[in-house]
Amino acid sequence: MAGRGTNGRHGSRGHAGRTAALARLLHKECIQLLELYRNSESLPSSPVDGGYLVSIPPLVPQLSDAEKISILHAALKECLRLLEDVITREDAEFSDEDSEYKRKWKTVRDRLGHLLASTEQLLVEGQKFEAKVKEELDGQAVSGSFRLKMWIVRVLQDLVHWTGQTSDTLRSLPAEVEKAPKTMSRRTRRGAEKIRK
Amino acid sequence: MQGWVTLALLLSLGVKRSLAQNGLGEPRGLTLNPDLPAQTLSLAWQSDSTLFDLEIFHTEFMNVVLNATVEVQADPVTGLHSWTWHSPLPLECTSHSVRIRARNQQSVSQWSPLQTIPGWDIPEKSYMFPEDKMIPVGSNMTFCCIVNEKEDFKEIKYGRQEMKATRLSRRSYAITVTNQPASDNTGTNVICSSQKFQMLTGTVVFVGYPPGDEGLVCETRDLASAECSWKKGRDTHLRIKQSLTNYTLNGRDCLEANERKTWCSSKMWEENWTLEARNPLGTVQLTDSAQLTDRVHLLAPVNVAAVKVEAWSATLQWSWSVAAYKKLEMVCQLRLFAHELSSTRNYDGPGLSSVVLEGLWPDVDYTVTLRCGSKHSFWKWGDESAPYRIHTKMDRPDALDVWMWMDSSNTGHVFWKPLSVRKSHGALNGYEVSQSSAEEDGRNTVSLPPGNFSYPILLNNSSDVTVAVAARNPAGLSQPSTVTTPAYRADSQLSVSELLGTNGSFVLSWEPNVSASSGYVVEWFPTGCTGLCPIDWKKLPESDRSFTVNSVYTTTACSLCAPLLISDSLVAGVRYTVSVYSLYTSAPTLLQRWQGYSQEMIPSQSVSELSLNQTGSDVLLSWKATEMKQQRGFIRGYTIYLASAAHLDLIANITDPAVQSYRVKGLTLSSYKFVVKAYTSAGEDAGATVAIKMEMDTADMLFVGILVPLGIMFCCIILFSIFFYKKREWVKKAFYPEIPGPKVSGDWSSPRGPLDVKPSPHSLVHIVKNPEWDFTKEGLFPVPEEEEESENDNMEVDTDSDEPALLRYYNQVVGDGSHSNQVSDSSASSTASMGSTQTEITYAGIQSPSSSQGAYSGGGYRPQMQSVTGPAEPQIEFEADFQDDGLNAGYKPQCSWQLDSPEAENFSGSLGSPTSVTSSQFLIPESSEEKPQPSNTWFHNFLSGKS
Repeated sequence: MAGRGTNGRHGSRGHAGRTAALARLLHKECIQLLELYRNSESLPSSPVDGGYLVSIPPLVPQLSDAEKISILHAALKECLRLLEDVITREDAEFSDEDSEYKRKWKTVRDRLGHLLASTEQLLVEGQKFEAKVKEELDGQAVSGSFRLKMWIVRVLQDLVHWTGQTSDTLRSLPAEVEKAPKTMSRRTRRGAEKIRK
Repeated sequence: MQGWVTLALLLSLGVKRSLAQNGLGEPRGLTLNPDLPAQTLSLAWQSDSTLFDLEIFHTEFMNVVLNATVEVQADPVTGLHSWTWHSPLPLECTSHSVRIRARNQQSVSQWSPLQTIPGWDIPEKSYMFPEDKMIPVGSNMTFCCIVNEKEDFKEIKYGRQEMKATRLSRRSYAITVTNQPASDNTGTNVICSSQKFQMLTGTVVFVGYPPGDEGLVCETRDLASAECSWKKGRDTHLRIKQSLTNYTLNGRDCLEANERKTWCSSKMWEENWTLEARNPLGTVQLTDSAQLTDRVHLLAPVNVAAVKVEAWSATLQWSWSVAAYKKLEMVCQLRLFAHELSSTRNYDGPGLSSVVLEGLWPDVDYTVTLRCGSKHSFWKWGDESAPYRIHTKMDRPDALDVWMWMDSSNTGHVFWKPLSVRKSHGALNGYEVSQSSAEEDGRNTVSLPPGNFSYPILLNNSSDVTVAVAARNPAGLSQPSTVTTPAYRADSQLSVSELLGTNGSFVLSWEPNVSASSGYVVEWFPTGCTGLCPIDWKKLPESDRSFTVNSVYTTTACSLCAPLLISDSLVAGVRYTVSVYSLYTSAPTLLQRWQGYSQEMIPSQSVSELSLNQTGSDVLLSWKATEMKQQRGFIRGYTIYLASAAHLDLIANITDPAVQSYRVKGLTLSSYKFVVKAYTSAGEDAGATVAIKMEMDTADMLFVGILVPLGIMFCCIILFSIFFYKKREWVKKAFYPEIPGPKVSGDWSSPRGPLDVKPSPHSLVHIVKNPEWDFTKEGLFPVPEEEEESENDNMEVDTDSDEPALLRYYNQVVGDGSHSNQVSDSSASSTASMGSTQTEITYAGIQSPSSSQGAYSGGGYRPQMQSVTGPAEPQIEFEADFQDDGLNAGYKPQCSWQLDSPEAENFSGSLGSPTSVTSSQFLIPESSEEKPQPSNTWFHNFLSGKS
């Protein structure tokens, strides 16, 4: 039933709808990935302290939807970088053994790449936002396998958080945003900025 | 006060002096050098002594963790004493303090000042130690968790297991895990949690095994380099990259080897090889030693091809990818795969690269594979070549196995067995059958399609016919196989022996025949078969004297066998005729014939036409044997059972199968069920059942049913007669007492002569004719004169009287017309008579009260009725009387004794006086002796002794 509703919405909202669906799917898969990792490592289900690794400007209501998407796009981009870093570090630390967790890693990585490509089409041309990573693994004072594992958990927590944020934002996107992707004329954009002001 | 102080100083100086006098100086310059990863603490100090007391504390709580006396010699160069302590606890967990003193037996020096190494529980962060430790399975280990200042310690979990923690310092807690199991892929997590955070901090421990590799073997593939391989041993359980096993071969790193690849190569052959496998938990060394020529493992031949293919042979060629092989003395194994024709052949030679494959079969698809090895010091077969397919050419078929079977004196069939793949040498196109006889010139040749395996033969005259059969395929015609018609011998013309099967087969033996120059033929077929029968035969050399026909004997290995013609096996329960013929140049001669079952079974059908015939108390059972097809074994006899409700009782076992009847004797009158079963050596059949209800025969029935009762009855009559005769006086008195004559007072003698009695007019009985009266209705009726006369012929009757009929009617119906009452009740009629004024006779008061007791009721004449009974009784009484007396039943006026008839009374009465014709009985007293006596019945005469 949910699927039918979603499809209907996709039909009415086109690309933004498809992107929202992709974000929602990715969000679920990130949750599954985090669960798989916690189970395989016998880790407690509570979140690791320290907040999110990726930080962005606050998504205040004054921001337009397109700006919000741009900011989230930047956050997701950092998430992808962290994720690839995690995969590389894991492969470096541990032997490459096939497991459901590893397969899920690759699925999430690929789908996150698709989501980034999809949200990129919704961005407003000229506007560029940066997301920052508060902590890098290499910069930590004490290294060790446990630290790496905690950092992986934090990356996964970030993935869950930012894909969830993106999914929610895309879902609440009005139809007008879809009409104003990159092809939107500058006049329209200016008008939109004016309205915001 | 000053005195006390002085005393104390003196004492103190005294102690110091005494120590100094022992010569034990305090150790100096104690230094601590921790090795954190190794969890060791090295102590170094200076002293002149060699024996020291050591004490190590956890600084914060001053818990003693070591208190030992050690003997440590000074380093001759540096003069320092060194001693290393291995701490069970990571030294980072908390601060450790050490002090030392010299000892000489019981004398000790002063303790050195405490030296302390700080732990990590001083900075304000959370830590867990040790980190990423690799230890063998089964080890014990202590982990500590240092919580930061503002956190409250909660617990430490080893994997999923919560452990009991001990406090080392204000912020440090420790657990000790014993006998640790092997870790999972990424190690075992040890997690410290606080009241606030589930994962405050943690560490990972990798528990595994040292390398377990074994079985190093080195060999050469190209006669120059070496390839060494080994078997992977026990899983180390160490997945972290830095803990993976490293390999070196003769000291050189073997980078290609890892957890999955267990081989290593070397460009040059060395006679001795050493492989070292190392991981953080241990090292293992494997060695091998061999000459290069002893370890040649050849690569697979390449470019395998057949250069010349014939019907019976082919030439195979190949090449080698290593030039050095060309000089190697090698042995090659060639494996041929074909349907039922697989084989393996070995060839050898230096640098072998071609062979001629002999002994192939025509028109067969072969798949060839090839592998080679060093001939000298053979090590192992080299790699196998890719399969190569060869199809040989066709050749003429082999000669057929032909036999002729005569089913009558002038008809028969020539049979031949289908050719197997090995013998057909190519798909057959058909058969050619040619027939010739001595009396006719030339041959008649017939071509038959390949599906035929027989041909009918008709003998027109007495001469033998010779038939030649040849098979044809695209390569040509086979050699013809000839057979001459054997003389037909019916079973009836021979003494056919019984042949017993043994384990599903027939074992035959026969006397040698000198004329069997060409051997013998054993032929078998189902007995009684005619026409196209499943004939089977086996040709045997002349030296054979015996043969076993097996149920699994297969004539040929062909898939085209016609099931009607060739029997592949003996079927259990089927009778076979087995014949042995001797072969020589002319027609085959029958030597011996048997009939038998390879395996007997119980008959499939019961005996037929089971019947029985009763003769008196005997029963003759007879039956007929089942047909031969249903016998499924030689009938050895019959068993006869008497069936009851629950079981069968054997009453006879007929062991002669020719006897097909049985007489069951002495049966009583009852129902019987007989079961007849035929049996073979395998057992009895289901049985046929017949039932009979025994009955007497006609003569018996006549005798028993009629004559015996009659005889008994006569005997009874005679006995009764004799009895009554003997007791006739008693009977007479009892039943027929003498009637006394009337006693007349005065002279009532009448003159001699007839006395005419003229009844008074008042005595006349008027006969009232009632036209409605029916004879069939009950009632009194007139007695015809004739009857009366005939029945009373001894009675004197006045035939001249003018009124003869007047006295003939007693109490006849004259009344009110109620005939039923009148008829049914004689007293009723009497009543009617009484009522009539025309009846002069008055009975009232004359009859004794008991004489007419009980019988009469209702209206009408009742002269002697004394008692009134129910209305139904007279009817019953009447009926009984009526039945007894029949048509002769008449008036029974006053007498209750049934034997009396009115006439008898009448006559009895008239014996004395004709005037008493109306009744004499009413004059007789009730006493039985005085009852009137019947005068004219035979019984009366009998009782009276009259004849």
